[in-house]
Formats: sequence, C-alpha cells, structure tokens
Amino acid sequence: MARAVTTRTKIGYTIAAWAVALVIFFPILYTIITSLKTEQEAISGFSLIPSFSTQSFSDVQSQNNYWRPFTNSVILAVGSTLLALVVAIPAAWAMAFSPTKRTKDILMWMLSTKMMPAVAVLVPIYLIFLRTGLMDTRIGLTILLMLINLPIVVWMLYTYFREIPGEILEAARMDGASLRDEIIHVLTPMAVPGIASTLLLNVILAWNEAFWTIQLTTTNAAPLSAFIASFSSPQGLFWAKLSAASVMAIAPILILGWFSQKQLVRGLTFGAVK
Amino acid sequence: MTAETSFSQAPPPEATRRSRLTAQRIRSAWIFLTPMMLALALVAGWPLFRNIYFSFTDASLTNLGAAQWIGFDNYYSKITLPSGREITSGLLVDPEWWRAVGNTLRFAFLSVGFETVFGLIVALVLNAEFKGRALVRAAVLVPWAIPTIVSAKIWAWMLNDQFGVINDVFLKLGLISEKVAWTASPDTAMTAVLIVDIWKTTPFMALLILAGLQMVPKDIYEAAKIDGVHPVKQFFKITLPLIWPAVMVAVIFRLLDALRIFDLIYVLTPNNAQTRTMSVAVRENLFDFDNFAYGSAQATMLFFIIALITILYITLGRVRFDGGK
Repeated sequence: MARAVTTRTKIGYTIAAWAVALVIFFPILYTIITSLKTEQEAISGFSLIPSFSTQSFSDVQSQNNYWRPFTNSVILAVGSTLLALVVAIPAAWAMAFSPTKRTKDILMWMLSTKMMPAVAVLVPIYLIFLRTGLMDTRIGLTILLMLINLPIVVWMLYTYFREIPGEILEAARMDGASLRDEIIHVLTPMAVPGIASTLLLNVILAWNEAFWTIQLTTTNAAPLSAFIASFSSPQGLFWAKLSAASVMAIAPILILGWFSQKQLVRGLTFGAVK
Repeated sequence: MTAETSFSQAPPPEATRRSRLTAQRIRSAWIFLTPMMLALALVAGWPLFRNIYFSFTDASLTNLGAAQWIGFDNYYSKITLPSGREITSGLLVDPEWWRAVGNTLRFAFLSVGFETVFGLIVALVLNAEFKGRALVRAAVLVPWAIPTIVSAKIWAWMLNDQFGVINDVFLKLGLISEKVAWTASPDTAMTAVLIVDIWKTTPFMALLILAGLQMVPKDIYEAAKIDGVHPVKQFFKITLPLIWPAVMVAVIFRLLDALRIFDLIYVLTPNNAQTRTMSVAVRENLFDFDNFAYGSAQATMLFFIIALITILYITLGRVRFDGGK
C-alpha cells in the first residue's frame, strides 16, 4: 500500500519536474527550431516543425563575417581565464592555507568590488582604453575581462582549496618541498577538479560578458555578444538568421555545460550548490 | 617525489625551522595577494574615485584637459535671475533622473519578488525524487548560462508585434484581440522586460534555494509526518524558516544585479522611457549626449543608491554570507 502511494507521488513529481523544465527550456528549443527554418517559415506563425534548412547557418557565416567575432570570443574567454588563474591560484593559496587576521577583510573587500555597478567605473576605464590605444583591441579586453572576473575566480578557488586538508601540504613542506613545489606539484594536482570547474565557469562568464564588450569594441575585437547585440533591429526578414547566430553563440556553452553539469551548477551558484 | 630527497641532510631543530617557515609563509602569502589586490584597485578602486572627481567638474569627452572644478553644480545649483526668479538645476531636481531611479527600483523589486517565489516553487519540485533529475536540472539551468544578449534578442523576436510567435499564439487562443507591440508600447514594455528577466533568472534563484533545501535534515519531515503535520504547515513552519538564510543570500545577489541592469534593456526595449533604468540613463549621458560630467554624477549617485540599499538589506535582514557553512 505504502509503496503504491510512493510510486504515484514519484510519478507526479516526475511529471511536474519535466513540465517545469519544458516551460523554462522552451524558448531555447524554439530558437533551435527556428534556426532550421527558412526566413519565410520563421515569420509565418507558430510551428514546431522546421524544414531543416541549413541556409541560415551558411548565410550567417558567409554574409556577416561570423568567424571574426567567434574567434574573438574564444580568445577573450580562454585568454582572460588563463591570465586570471595565474594571479588567482597563489592568492587563493594564501587565503586558504596561510590565513592572517586580515584574510577575511580582504575576501570581503574582494567580493564587494563585484557588487559595484559597472557604470560607476565606465568613464575612467573608457578613458584609460582611449589613451593607451587599447580601445577595440583583443589584448585590452582580455586584460579587462580577467580583472573583472578575478574576484569570482579567487573566491571559487578559495572554496575548493579549503576542502583540501592543510596537513598534506604541511607534510610536503616538512619533507623539504619549497613553496613553489608545494603549490605547483602538490596543491595544483590535488585541486585539478576545482581548477577545472573554475576555468569552465570563468570561460562562460567571459563568453557572456556584454556590458564592457559593447562599450569598448566596434568591429576589430568585438566578440559574439557584441556581434549579436548589433544584429540590427527586428524589422527585416532575418529571424532565422538571428536564431542561427544565436544557436552558434550558445552551442559552445551547451556542449561545455553538458559535459560538466555538476561543476557548472556549483560554479554558477558560486559554490553554494555542491 | 619530494620524499626521496627530504632526509638527505640533517634537519635543523624543529622549533626554529617551524618559525622560520611560518615567517616565510606569511611573507609569501602577502606577496601572493599583492597582484590580486593591485588588479582590483586598478579596475575598481581608482576608477571609482576618478568617476566621483569627474562628477564635480564640467568635463566633456572632447574637453577633458580643460575640465573645471564646479563643486556640487552637477548635483544641485540655484541661480537667481535679476528678475528675482530662481532657477534650479542638477541631478537632484532632474525629473528624468528620478524617473530612471523609479524604473530601476520598480524593476528590481518586481523581478526579484517574482523570481524568489518562482525560484522557491521550482526548487521544491527539483528537490523531490524523480526520473531524469540530471537532465532536468541541466535544462532548467540553460537560460541562466547563455548570454543575456542572446536571450534578449530571442525574446525581442518572439515578442515582435508583426512576426512574433507570442502574438500569433495569443491571437489563436483568443487571449488578445489584436497584435500587441510588447516591447514598444509604454504599457507593456516593463512587463516584457520583467518576463524575460524572470525567465532568465528564476533558475539561478531555484538552484541557490535548492542548495538550502538539500541541507534540511530528512528526519525532521519524518517526525512531522508521524505527528500528522499538514504538508502546507510543514512548508511554512519547517522548510521556510530553515532555508530562509539561503533565500536571503540569493535575494541580495539578485537585487544587486537587478539594480544595475543594463544589457537586457539595451537590447529589448531601447529608447523606451518606461524601462529607462539608472545604468541606461548613465550610458546615454556619457556616450550619446556627451554629458560626461553629468553622467559621472549619475553614476556616482547610482553607486551610492545601490550601496545604501545593500547596507540596509544586510543590516535589517541580518544576512550572514557564511550562514550555511
């Protein structure tokens, strides 16, 4: 008897959960469907069955010089993440394994900079870019994105490092390992899962970043976010093309995300969900 | 690797070795922290002060070198004409600005409110046992993981008055009698922005609340069940109080994001007075109208408004960021 009730409840929850997922995922699904339609189909009302035309994909790639922003996105996302790790790993080590009285203050200060509205520092950073010739360059944006995401990278690494027992590092030290060995040969290999998910999250954050990329690029260094933002107003007949461009912009995230769901969930919630 | 070489030489006395190591570690710790702190000062500290400085000048993008210190004039100034009439100007008496402040607050409270309620519901559903949990969790997370610009564009098309599917479906279902210009009409623009933001951010709320739910011990429910406590009462008397700290932290994260919202509105409803938020107004003054100094004053005020709300929230709500750990 009790068993039957549990099964029925379970079926109920399964249906509810799948319904919620479908509602939330539906706009994405519809975009994928639209990307496989012709422009004429795309604007002729609601329909879930596309003609599986790949015309839009090839149009976007040939007409809009799609690969330039795509390459920019890859360079910005990967470059800024690797740079951030170089600065963040030692900093997170210091916070996790060699805490002082000030560690907590530094951590709070670091996180509080993330709470600051970006427009409050827009003018001065815009001027720095203008004066140093970094405007619309990949190197300028890479450095900026690295600086902007640095607090999150340090924070995430810190939460992962804290789970590693300090005794292991201490043992290595007592065995005469230098600090450099301790970090590169002992800590880093143990923290590979943590570093990997930090890397993943930061790549996604940098990939999605739009405020700075819109303000500080025109054509040369514009990544996909800026490219799609400038995909002009919805007047002409190009919904299918926009959908195709969107699908190509989110595909890397969907693929990366699929292979690393657990780490992604932890990352996107800043370590709150394990 | 290191173990082989470790005892090749006689170790110094344990005590001095330890203290030497400790001193060395503390020194290294500071050296390691310096680049990060310099980087943050470079991107957050100095520009903020510079922005505040600009707000007290008459700088413009074309005329930065000759910027004059004009005190509080960008914020408030009063001129008495020879006729005796007083003219006040500045940010504090600018109705456009206060309208942007109002829009931002309205957007922030409505979006965060709905997201919290929906997030709670989704979290409760996801917390139950069901088939295909991993897939559902991943599917739910997608709107949060993809670029806001992309979601804004997708929705701009779906909400489009001529070709959008939303009008098409609503017309066929008889929910509306004529096509609605969702993103352009003053009556619906804010609703459109809210719908997209709630769709995009509810998953994030749900996951943070789910984290809180997973920490609630299961035997509490067993006990409540044996005592015959009604499930609704269980939720309000047991679940909600226990996950409240997690909800409070999730809300502050969201509130901070909502108060500075820019990209969604920039793409979905540009040039619409009903959805012109503080960040959008600042950007307009900085780049479109070349009111550099005035824009800086707005940015400064935006910073202080957000700081004030954050401080109020954290003190009044007694939020503890390390609460769950």
